[in-house]
Amino acid sequence: MGLFSESVEVICTDTGQPQQVQWKGMQYTVTNEPVRWYERRQWWLEESRAPLGSGAGLVDHEIWRVQLQAPGEKETSNGTITLDLVRHVGSGRWRLLRIHDAAPARAVEPDEAA
Amino acid sequence: MSFTHLHVSTAFSAHYGVSWPDELAQTAAADGATALACTDRDGLYGTVKHLKACMEAGIDPIVGVDLAVFDDDGDHRTQVAGRVVVLAHGNNNGAGYRALCRLVSDAHARTSGKAGGAVPAAVTRGELASRTLDPQTLKPVLTVMIGPDSDVGQAMGGRKYLRPRTLFKQWIDAMPPGTIVAEAVSHLSPPGEPLSTAHAVRMLKLALEYNVPAVLSNAVRYCAQDGAATADVLDSARTLKSLPELSTAPMLQPTGQGWLKNAQHMLQLGKEIMNAAGQGKADLSKLLANTEALADKCRMDPVLDMGWKKPVVPESSIIGINGDPMVELAQRCEAGITKRFPGINGEAEKRMRSRLMHELGIIGRLGFASYFLTVAEVSRMILDMGVRVAARGSGASSLVNYLIDISQVDPIRHDLIFERFLSGRRSTLPDIDIDVESAERHNVYRKIFDRFGAERVTLMSMQNGYRARGAVRDAGMALGMDEGEISDIAKQLWRFSARKFREALVEKPELRDFAGRVERGASEENQQLDLLVDLTERLDRLPRHISMHPCGVILGDATLLDRTPVQPSGLGLPMSQFDKHDMDPMGMLKLDVLGVRMQSAMAFAVREVIRLHPSKAEVVAAGKHPVEPGGTGPDFIAADGRIDLNAVPFDDEPTYELIRSTHTLGCFQIESPGQRELIGKMAPREFNDLIIDISLFRPGPMKSDMVRPFLEHRHGFAPEIYPHPDLKPVLQETHGVTVFHEQILKTFDVMTDCGLARADEFRRALGDEIHEPGVEVYFRREAIKKYPPEVVDKVWGTLKAFGSFGFCKAHGAAFAVPTYQSAWLKTHHPEAFLAGLWEHDPGMYPKRLLVAEARRLGIPILPLDINRSQAEYRVERIQDGPDQGKLGIRLSLTGIYGLSGAELKRIVAGQPFDSLADLRARARVSKPNIKRLAQLGAFDVLHKDSGGKANRADLVQHLQALQGSSTKKAADVIEGQLSFALGDVELRNLAPELPAPTMVDNVRAELDLMAVDVSEHLMDSHRPLLDKLGVTTADKLLGLRNGTEVLVAGVRIATQTPPMRGGRRVVFISIDDGTGCVDSVFFHEAQEQSGPLLFGTRLLLIRGTTRRTGPKGISLSASKAWDLSQPETFPFAELLPAGGGPPDDYTHHGPLHGISRNLAITGLGS
Repeated sequence: MGLFSESVEVICTDTGQPQQVQWKGMQYTVTNEPVRWYERRQWWLEESRAPLGSGAGLVDHEIWRVQLQAPGEKETSNGTITLDLVRHVGSGRWRLLRIHDAAPARAVEPDEAA
Repeated sequence: MSFTHLHVSTAFSAHYGVSWPDELAQTAAADGATALACTDRDGLYGTVKHLKACMEAGIDPIVGVDLAVFDDDGDHRTQVAGRVVVLAHGNNNGAGYRALCRLVSDAHARTSGKAGGAVPAAVTRGELASRTLDPQTLKPVLTVMIGPDSDVGQAMGGRKYLRPRTLFKQWIDAMPPGTIVAEAVSHLSPPGEPLSTAHAVRMLKLALEYNVPAVLSNAVRYCAQDGAATADVLDSARTLKSLPELSTAPMLQPTGQGWLKNAQHMLQLGKEIMNAAGQGKADLSKLLANTEALADKCRMDPVLDMGWKKPVVPESSIIGINGDPMVELAQRCEAGITKRFPGINGEAEKRMRSRLMHELGIIGRLGFASYFLTVAEVSRMILDMGVRVAARGSGASSLVNYLIDISQVDPIRHDLIFERFLSGRRSTLPDIDIDVESAERHNVYRKIFDRFGAERVTLMSMQNGYRARGAVRDAGMALGMDEGEISDIAKQLWRFSARKFREALVEKPELRDFAGRVERGASEENQQLDLLVDLTERLDRLPRHISMHPCGVILGDATLLDRTPVQPSGLGLPMSQFDKHDMDPMGMLKLDVLGVRMQSAMAFAVREVIRLHPSKAEVVAAGKHPVEPGGTGPDFIAADGRIDLNAVPFDDEPTYELIRSTHTLGCFQIESPGQRELIGKMAPREFNDLIIDISLFRPGPMKSDMVRPFLEHRHGFAPEIYPHPDLKPVLQETHGVTVFHEQILKTFDVMTDCGLARADEFRRALGDEIHEPGVEVYFRREAIKKYPPEVVDKVWGTLKAFGSFGFCKAHGAAFAVPTYQSAWLKTHHPEAFLAGLWEHDPGMYPKRLLVAEARRLGIPILPLDINRSQAEYRVERIQDGPDQGKLGIRLSLTGIYGLSGAELKRIVAGQPFDSLADLRARARVSKPNIKRLAQLGAFDVLHKDSGGKANRADLVQHLQALQGSSTKKAADVIEGQLSFALGDVELRNLAPELPAPTMVDNVRAELDLMAVDVSEHLMDSHRPLLDKLGVTTADKLLGLRNGTEVLVAGVRIATQTPPMRGGRRVVFISIDDGTGCVDSVFFHEAQEQSGPLLFGTRLLLIRGTTRRTGPKGISLSASKAWDLSQPETFPFAELLPAGGGPPDDYTHHGPLHGISRNLAITGLGS
């Protein structure tokens, strides 16, 4: 791994859907129904072991597209941000993959990150 | 809620599915599912296993297939437009299953049965449509699921709006109403890609638009997420592309989400699809309800729909019986009595008749009379073809089989128990195995098809799974590793399961180098080796393809093809998609018709004997057969010299002498190194000894140390011990050691009065974790009533330890017949017998060893000769020279590298040839092959007769030069005109320029082109060096004391790693040095010392100490081995008594040097 630059904290519902996201010290609420998909990994390059029973997460990783709203903002306002988050299956940790809407300029496209 | 998976590939979808049916069924059941489908690709390969797994898991099986469909608009023979899943409807008395079987057979009807055929397994839409309706009721009995892999699903990509609709409409138009559903699948791939939620939505909307029901599935390939990586590797193996290549294409599964998701996950998935489709809860409920409704329609009743465990045999009319088959069987047995027991009376007759009544009673109660009559019919048919046939296996336990000519062993005389074969407590059809001449096997199959009709017969198939070597090759290819590197690694893998690869790296000395590289790889060069090990382990045992079983023929009634799908075998005859494990569950009658090369070799030998000695008197003289005073010799030799092998009495003393000498190379069952050691120790004196010997030499008895006590008691070194006098009659023949299944049965019966039928059930339960405890409780409870506790304890200990390992005496008895017959032929007609062995190559050794055996026996080996050699090996009486009057064996023209079958036929048809030109003109032998024949000396006689002064090397050079020049056209023009005159001239005028080829050159050519060393033994040229080293030859070993340290050297002929007590591997390597075989054993330390030499070397120098194994037996306990082809690696200082450096001729390269082509030279095979 090491592809993604930023770690985020995510609180999920019982069914595993992101509900709250803590990012850059701010607590956001997920507004719409999030969309989820999986993306392939070139595991034969990225891993040195693939023993039987290594479980989930070797071949793909889970990605969630969430729309966030900062606390205090009204739902109707334009203050929503769309983020793609990736969850590492093994550790359960979340990282930021992409930022879609206008957002703080500090964020870099993670694919370009070292 | 529960969810039913309707689209599941098991591991039996070769190179596609990952998980076994029982894992899948258990997982589904644990999640609360009440049914599960098995829809393997291209066939019903996993269906029966799925049935069994579902029944065990307590859920309903659903059966179907994942099939390719031909493109209606494309070339019908080759172009495929996607795949669909077809499910059979259940609870309709098999109408759905029947249609499914026929449909799958349709899909394979046009394929060639050979690997890489141009026509794929696929159906036309027309076939599919016609099979979905039951021909009787015209009601739908199949449902076709149009899913993501269908032409419709494949057209979903991009922004095409019309195309999927057009294609879907075509399906609706082509298929009968109510036979299709739309299958929505999301593997949650990125939006817009195949198997994404968006695609599932499109499928859903299409269904809605055309009012076709939609169902939800997960197109499962693996039980859990962990299997996704294995699926990637299987995709690579199937497409023959590496993972990086597949990734770029892109042809990999888009995600790893094709697993057997539980109901909760599937509900969640359904919600996500509905959300994306902008639909609500009610629509989701509808989707799930549709899925369950289809599942309910497809629940199979294993018994009523699929004939679970209901034996079906050919109609009695087909075997020419109109009345009650049982009456017919009894009559035939009666007729057999006069033939098998002429003049039997009194007590013996009473015993025999009571046994017969007993057997017929059981057969009658089970309703198996037609089965016996069917087998008898096949057996008679084969005999009528003039083909040698013998029953093998537990079938020999039946007196009925003996009386109706299925078996050749008298079960009363050998005390064989019928219940071991069949009892009233077993309702499955018993196995009767028939051995025929291997060369006639295919003809026998064709005859069976003719006799019973193609609708009643099919061949059985077998599953070929990944073993270590294949797994490492495919794992390496997936990783894109270098082919040569992978090949080198694969060569070192020696008989262990791929799943234990990592374990083997630690333990096995021959993998030491590789293990080191894996370890270093983790830090430097490439990490791939570590992955290679993991992926190899993942592939272990997964099915790769099916092929024709070596002997199984399925016989049924006219409905057979409604009960099993068939596909062409490599032989052209149809082959069932079911394997041997599926036979009993599906009530199928399988006949094992095994081609046995030894039977062909013996038939060949008998024909050679009659050809050489066309009268009884000549055969009697040649074979030194006993003649009574005033008699003409034994009855088993007919007046014309034909020997009736089956009539040869089992008491020929010279035959037992040969067996005791341990020079049994070529004899059935007793030629292996281990067997030669065992017969050396045991010294068989009579037929029953052979039965015991064969039964002892099995993994079970060897592993559980039954052999040593048996031998000690047999030779009187230790007193025989019986746990109780009651058991003495049971165990006496094996000196108190329990060897046979039959003895286990009798022990149970004697001590608990359970009867033999139950006893056989108890025996089967031994070694079974679940059932054995019950047997122990029963045994102890009953036996204690008659016997003291210590006897009960001791006997139970024996039963427990040996019960699961013992051998069926009937098997041993059936095997002992060809063993004795082959030894008899080797004793009395060795030339004909060896010619038969060379011709049919029946044994475990490379053919060159049997040529060496002829040399050891002093039988002249006659060189290849263009005018005398035939298409088969021939025994010849030698006309002149020092061996005049002796019988020699002339080499055959078959088996010459490069020589085609057509050339060979033309040569034999055109003999004799008076010149090379004549040969070119009439036999049209290619230039390279003429040169090869010259290298092998096939023209030496012709050359000499022509009066030429040149030698073989000159001729080869001449022919080599001709190869370069193009004379094709010219030859055509001058054919017939100049050939006679020029031929003589060509050989006669050849200028003698070169030195004659050396013996080493000649032997090298022989090994290279024929894999046989003919002119002299390939070790002979190494002799000078070996003599200097003080190497001992095989014939001298027997004279040495036990424990003498020696050096031996020879060419490898066999390598074995039998299972051992204690589990530590022992490697047996046998070498041949021209004077005989040396059998050496490498224990752990010696394996460590020898490392990669253990499996990779052809010529070996071995140091070890002698181990005397019996009066005629000696072997070697090795301490270290070297590669004899690299004498520079020898520690000469240590080896040469005088010390000092290597001798002058140490660089000698023998005939094997430089030959890489032919593994058949040495015993290196699998």
